[in-house]
Amino acid sequence: MVLSRRVTGLIVLIAGLGVGTSVLAFGKKDKHSLPASQMEESKRALHALNRLTFGPRAGDVQRVLAMGLEKWIDEQLHPEKVDDHAVEARLAPFRTLRMDTREIVENFPSQQVIKAVAEGKQSMPSDAAQRAVYRAQLERYEEKKERKEEPGGSEAATGGDKLSDEQRARRREDRFYADVKAEEMLDLPPDQRFKEILKMSPAEQRGFSNALKGNRRDDFMEGMDSRQRETLMALNNPQQVVTDELVQGNLLRAIYSERQLDEVMMDFWFNHFNVFIGKGADRYLLTSYERDVIRPHGLGKFEELLVATAQSPAMLFYLDNWLSVGPNSDAANGIPKHGPDRNRRRRMARRFPQKQAKGKRNGLNENYGRELMELHTLGVNGGYTQKDVTEVARVFTGWTLKQPKQGGGFTFEERMHEPGDKIVLGHRIKSGGEKEGREVLHLLARNPSTARFICTKLAGRFVSDNPPTSLVDRMSQKFLKKDGDIREVLKAMLESPEFWSLEAYRAKVKTPLEFVVSGVRATGADVGDATPLARQLQSMGMPLYGAQPPTGYSTKADAWVNSSSLLGRMNFALALTGGKLKGVRVDADTNVASHDPPGVLAELENTLLAGDVSKQTHDTIAAKLDDPAITQRKLDDAARAPDVKVITGLLLGSPEFQRR
Amino acid sequence: MSITRRIFLRDSALAVVGTAAIPSFLTRAAFGAAAGARNKRLVVIFQRGAADGLNIVVPHGEQGYYAMRPSINIPRNSVIDLDGFFGLHPAMSPLQALWDQRHLAIIHAAGSPDPTRSHFDAQDFMESGTPGLKATEDGWLNRALHSAFAPAEKSAFRAVALGPSLPRILTGGEPAIAVNNINDFGVGGRNSSSVANTFEAMYANSVDAVLHGTGNETFEAVKMLKSANPAKYAPAPGANYPRGRFGESLKELAQLIKANLGVQVAFADIGGWDHHVNEGSTQGQLANVLREFSQSLGAFWIDLGDLAEDTVVITMSEFGRTARENGNRGTDHGHANVMFVMGGPVKGGKVYGRWPGLDQSQLYEGRDLAVTTDFRRVIGEAVYQHLGNKNLDRVFPTFPNQPGTFLHVLG
Repeated sequence: MVLSRRVTGLIVLIAGLGVGTSVLAFGKKDKHSLPASQMEESKRALHALNRLTFGPRAGDVQRVLAMGLEKWIDEQLHPEKVDDHAVEARLAPFRTLRMDTREIVENFPSQQVIKAVAEGKQSMPSDAAQRAVYRAQLERYEEKKERKEEPGGSEAATGGDKLSDEQRARRREDRFYADVKAEEMLDLPPDQRFKEILKMSPAEQRGFSNALKGNRRDDFMEGMDSRQRETLMALNNPQQVVTDELVQGNLLRAIYSERQLDEVMMDFWFNHFNVFIGKGADRYLLTSYERDVIRPHGLGKFEELLVATAQSPAMLFYLDNWLSVGPNSDAANGIPKHGPDRNRRRRMARRFPQKQAKGKRNGLNENYGRELMELHTLGVNGGYTQKDVTEVARVFTGWTLKQPKQGGGFTFEERMHEPGDKIVLGHRIKSGGEKEGREVLHLLARNPSTARFICTKLAGRFVSDNPPTSLVDRMSQKFLKKDGDIREVLKAMLESPEFWSLEAYRAKVKTPLEFVVSGVRATGADVGDATPLARQLQSMGMPLYGAQPPTGYSTKADAWVNSSSLLGRMNFALALTGGKLKGVRVDADTNVASHDPPGVLAELENTLLAGDVSKQTHDTIAAKLDDPAITQRKLDDAARAPDVKVITGLLLGSPEFQRR
Repeated sequence: MSITRRIFLRDSALAVVGTAAIPSFLTRAAFGAAAGARNKRLVVIFQRGAADGLNIVVPHGEQGYYAMRPSINIPRNSVIDLDGFFGLHPAMSPLQALWDQRHLAIIHAAGSPDPTRSHFDAQDFMESGTPGLKATEDGWLNRALHSAFAPAEKSAFRAVALGPSLPRILTGGEPAIAVNNINDFGVGGRNSSSVANTFEAMYANSVDAVLHGTGNETFEAVKMLKSANPAKYAPAPGANYPRGRFGESLKELAQLIKANLGVQVAFADIGGWDHHVNEGSTQGQLANVLREFSQSLGAFWIDLGDLAEDTVVITMSEFGRTARENGNRGTDHGHANVMFVMGGPVKGGKVYGRWPGLDQSQLYEGRDLAVTTDFRRVIGEAVYQHLGNKNLDRVFPTFPNQPGTFLHVLG
């Protein structure tokens, strides 16, 4: 339906490079090849880029064609073969991305850690910078406690919408003081600057960190190493450092990684096995969840991914399974952990029933059992009953965590485990402790309903909102035959004519994440700070890691095509190209060689939309090329170049760019 | 543009912003002959995540309740007693005045007959209005408009969802818009009409059916909003919206209504009800979200002033929670729940619906409160009586919904 005005030009260009429609095979052993398609070769390349990446960059279509479409796809299916050092360099400053959870919690202490230190249960760190962070948080903790203990204190705390005049004045003062201080210190070398901060009192440090914003913060941190920067920000809010770095890492990888399919799959699986960052300890657990649980299995075996999520602290915490206790387990019956042999302990417990320890509750929690089947494997119509939910919950009792708030990991706790056999989907699961859970996961991973559910979702992400049944069937068969090998399933999809059909071309409306990242990629923006992009996603209704329900975000058009979201997209397009997003630089003009308005428009259509722009969109913009607001032209200065920024913004906000 | 001006002029005489904390008609004396169907509004609130109805409207006269919830029950001396058997959770005190003025009605043991305990499916069914039927493509609130009285010139704000996306309940044949924030509902700031016009033309001319339609609705709404400038309607004295998205949504909805933008149906939602662990009792997680919920609705009511006379608000949540607390001082997914109906024409001060009881034999599947009132019965009455749409067979195609079966919650 979209007219290909410029594609012909592209074809000529490509023909000149001598790349024909030669058909290569995926990998060496594989004899399959891309099926025939009604799409021209350049359109196929564009289509593949739109689906397997977060959107083509200027010149990507030509690069893929020069390399050969099949070779490029094969490379994307084997991300380990693709060099990605450039993005790694961009991520180097974010130390938490390389820390395990325990290190993160130690370096950026949670409320619980601070409370433990305040109560003398944990000691202060010895490192000076870490100490400063702890001291600042300790003081904040004490302040909070005092406020609570004041008469009417809790009232003031909950009704805290309005700051008192006194607080406001103090905050103003803090900011002024911080400004003056920062100004004074700017002349010092970075190391010296940092040492001056460490010398301040905790209250001063917090006020300083809180007030240091925007350009001044950037200037102040100039020349400091990442550890010093993180410390400065952690003085005010250590948890925020962890979240910020996670968000930065996610967006920078999506934008700059050469292993694009790997990133797309990471996004897909994270969303499939969604965990909400706002739930308690998950603030600290998602860094490891994304890196150690989701990422390594993106193109691997489904069952391995499933087991990894089932044992991940993030999921155990999010869906409450770590608290689920078998109603007939030792823990529920108050049988002590230590002492003489087990039978004797049980006899003693029966004879002298204890009152349950306060705060310890003993019983089943169905949350994980249900979502495991509904959302992770079988799908809601996959053929399970409420009885199965309860049985699965019984199976997973004892799959718990060691001190999640201190960063402890998965453990199987026999005392919490419900004894006896269980029946799941008609199968008898023999009493066997931790093994029972493994057996159920194995059962679920190989169930045909799971194959169908996962393949429908994959096809929904890669092909169309309502993918053809024939395609889903083929993918499901492959899934079952190859033991849930995701790479094989994707290959089956890419070898199917449905993937390459004209109906599939630009059939998908971009989600806000896909839209924002594709816009940044298309314009070749240099992102020094991804926070403004994350903020845009938030206002478009898709905050990263912010899906509260376990369903994650929809990838279908109807979820994302509405007035609020469309305006958000147009405004983002204008803000991005107009340089309104701090830390994101677009050199729109350098991408364009022409000076005359029609030439500029044509070039931009080529770089941003591979030349495939509808006549309607083209004509609408072309008709406005004389408008001073768009071309910057003055009546007496006809030679002045058109405003590349505005035209770029219009194209990014166009209907065509909302699709992939 | 002419549409905008006409609607605005015609209705602006009616834009009386209540300044008193209690609108004059609330005395009931002034509430006599109903106005025409012209300005009737239906507001639907969704509590996403399955709110625990048994701890929201507490059956404190029920023996089993306290035994089944040893650590999370609401003690008898803490509930706001309603009728000697039911009582409100204390966090709902902002709505007590409405109950006393008989503008708040409660339907207990209401819900969807479908047995699913999946949040996603149950919400979907409650929004499509066809439990058990997944193929339904539109939402009942959209269908309610489709066959209802329509002004000769439909306002772009006839159907509004507050939030960043258009919910299932409002999708369908009638134009509906999502408004995330009325203050930045526009393109490119104030001084870039040229750019905005270009976008508008691009979408108006587009052959992309999906984006073309939404684009047109969007730009129409942008223009109306600009001329009506609802942001100038500050909350009425005493309308203290709490901090948070839900309060903000209702505040903006009140502004749209007060600016006479022709809102006929509106939708807002509030999440955070899925308390599997440490639900709390009079204080705690449920109490916190319930307080936000009640404060927001209370403020909305005061804020609307006399306009509340023609407004009906209905709340719903996908299903209730287990009658017994679980092993973690929380509750798991259950069945029936409680619905609130508030507004001018509501015959409030009463708990409607048949109470099924909490004895083991009375529980649904031996664990949950049974559904005795289909949620469509309650909505159907509002659609029929308040919106004046007599075609209930089209709004709820799979549900026999005759006026004779209504609960008569509306007067």
